[in-house]
Amino acid sequence: MAASDAIIQVSDLSGGWDEKLVLKDISLEVKRGKILVIVGKSGCGKSTMMSYLLGLNKPWKGKVIFDGQDIWESPEVLEKCRRRWGVTFQSGALLGNLTVLENVMLPIKEYTDVPHEEMELVAYSKLETVGLADFADSNPLEISGGMQKRAGLARAMALDPEILFFDEPSAGLDPVTSAQLDELIISINRSLGTTIVIVTHELASIFAISDRVVMLDPEKHGIIAEGTARGLRDTSDDPRVKAFFGREVVQAAEGRS
Amino acid sequence: MIRGIVIALFILEPPREDPVTEGRKLSIDGTKLSIHGVLQVEESDRLSELLEGHRKAFMSAGCFDIDFADAPGIDAIPAAVLFEFANSLKRAGVRISRLNAAEAIDNLFKSFDDNVSRVGSSKKLNGLHEHFEDLGEAIATFIESISGLWGFLGNTLNTLFDTVRHPGRIRWQMVFYYMEESGVRAIPIIATLTWLLGTVLGYQAGYQMRAYGAETFMPALLAYSITWEIGPMLTAVLVAGRSGSAYAAEIGTMKVRQEVDALSVMGFDIFGYLVTPKLIALICVMPILVLVANFAGIIGGLLAGGIFLGMPASIYISGLSSALIPFDIIWGMVKAIIYAVIIANVGSYMGMRVRGGAAEVGKATTGAVVMSIFFVIVADALMSLLFVHIRPGISM
Repeated sequence: MAASDAIIQVSDLSGGWDEKLVLKDISLEVKRGKILVIVGKSGCGKSTMMSYLLGLNKPWKGKVIFDGQDIWESPEVLEKCRRRWGVTFQSGALLGNLTVLENVMLPIKEYTDVPHEEMELVAYSKLETVGLADFADSNPLEISGGMQKRAGLARAMALDPEILFFDEPSAGLDPVTSAQLDELIISINRSLGTTIVIVTHELASIFAISDRVVMLDPEKHGIIAEGTARGLRDTSDDPRVKAFFGREVVQAAEGRS
Repeated sequence: MIRGIVIALFILEPPREDPVTEGRKLSIDGTKLSIHGVLQVEESDRLSELLEGHRKAFMSAGCFDIDFADAPGIDAIPAAVLFEFANSLKRAGVRISRLNAAEAIDNLFKSFDDNVSRVGSSKKLNGLHEHFEDLGEAIATFIESISGLWGFLGNTLNTLFDTVRHPGRIRWQMVFYYMEESGVRAIPIIATLTWLLGTVLGYQAGYQMRAYGAETFMPALLAYSITWEIGPMLTAVLVAGRSGSAYAAEIGTMKVRQEVDALSVMGFDIFGYLVTPKLIALICVMPILVLVANFAGIIGGLLAGGIFLGMPASIYISGLSSALIPFDIIWGMVKAIIYAVIIANVGSYMGMRVRGGAAEVGKATTGAVVMSIFFVIVADALMSLLFVHIRPGISM
């Protein structure tokens, strides 16, 4: 049962940049159909962790196992796994010389041979899901940052991935837009059962969407806390965890005054 | 009657073993397609193969049912294949029904229904008409940037005079940096190219002039054309390509990263900080580069004369010394200063014009080179026309 319960298993992973150790002996599980949020201070290795989960870099040591398969077993395995992942980058990462619709069609063209009408139909439907159907013909550089992220999300969802990765979805967005994006993420998770992994440090998002939170720390080069957001906030004795979640108390106090 | 049923069964159910149904995700029973499990992207091709194989059967039966009782969900791409197939049957009058579809599946098909009218209406960026639009825009931008450049030139010259009066304000460290980048590092390429051009020019001119017994005038022709035109012009073109573009890219990138805004907010004089060092550096090094170019070109001519025309070096040098006067060399250096002002200004101006993203930086770089060369040639033509008489010894 354990194999089907966890879609990603990370075991004893260590890695870093050049000679600098960033992550040491990390073990982590991403449960199927759940939303996992990776949090931590700047420089704690969130992005490094993400690059290992996405197979962009090979860890120094340890394994990343996706659905029972080691992603570094062979290039073909990695290629196959990537088809089942969707990734949304911080800026949306849309190609500027294609329309929004063409951007969404890009992975469909790359991975399937279905006729053009079907591709467009799926792309339109995905854009509708993120609320951008009316912007299909727009130049991605001429729509707002929030829209770019949503278009990036539509592109990530084009092939119905089993797991969606988000790198700082709320970065550079106002709270309202950010909350809308959070709602969108939750509705995708609930309606399609897509597993979601998010790297963020936006407290509001963490409380709104996470099923489970993993907190990394730069000094320990690893995980210092794991659990539900509320559980960590209310019960953790670790000063680093308290400091991180304590900010919410300050924000709430400011709201009252 | 039994025979009739058997034949009907053969029509509805092709007797061949269907490879598609082997995975047991898809099965067709009469006019009913049943889907078991979540149909995935990879299975779209097999799905459409299976459906096309049964198209005739569905048409003749007049109905097509899709049973989702066993399917908790479906990927969008196989769903779209199914949707388009069903639609094509519907147009032929076949009755379509979706049975036992979960809410998510129903929503997906509803969204296809909503969007099917949009398919085929999508536009492309960079269509043909947009190219014409872009062309018109480019011309308008060019005209607009000329006037903008004029103002910019005034601004920089103003700052330049200001800093000349207070030399302490100049960032000499940056000036030396740009002198090295745009001057010292440009010497090899400029010397090599003018040397080659001098050789070619000397050979071509001498070869033609020999037909009239006039090859002894080759040194004079070469000396004039190199010191007056080719030396300064080639230097300007190369510096525009090497440094003008670099200035535009540097300032453009700073603009994109809001560094320019940060500087102005901190109270820096943008012109004095970003443009003046480049301008002073180019004004200092361009005349020297022209000297190098002239020298290399004349050496090239000497080689051409010696190797191809059998002209002794002494004759070449005496031909040069009777033709060239110091004014020719100085005039080339004066031109170089004017070109330096043009290149530094155009490069910086194009960088400052950058708004928005990284793509703009590339455009600014290209624009800087094209505009610099354009203005260098215009300035050269004007100077040649206006000042040809100022050379001592020329009378017309």
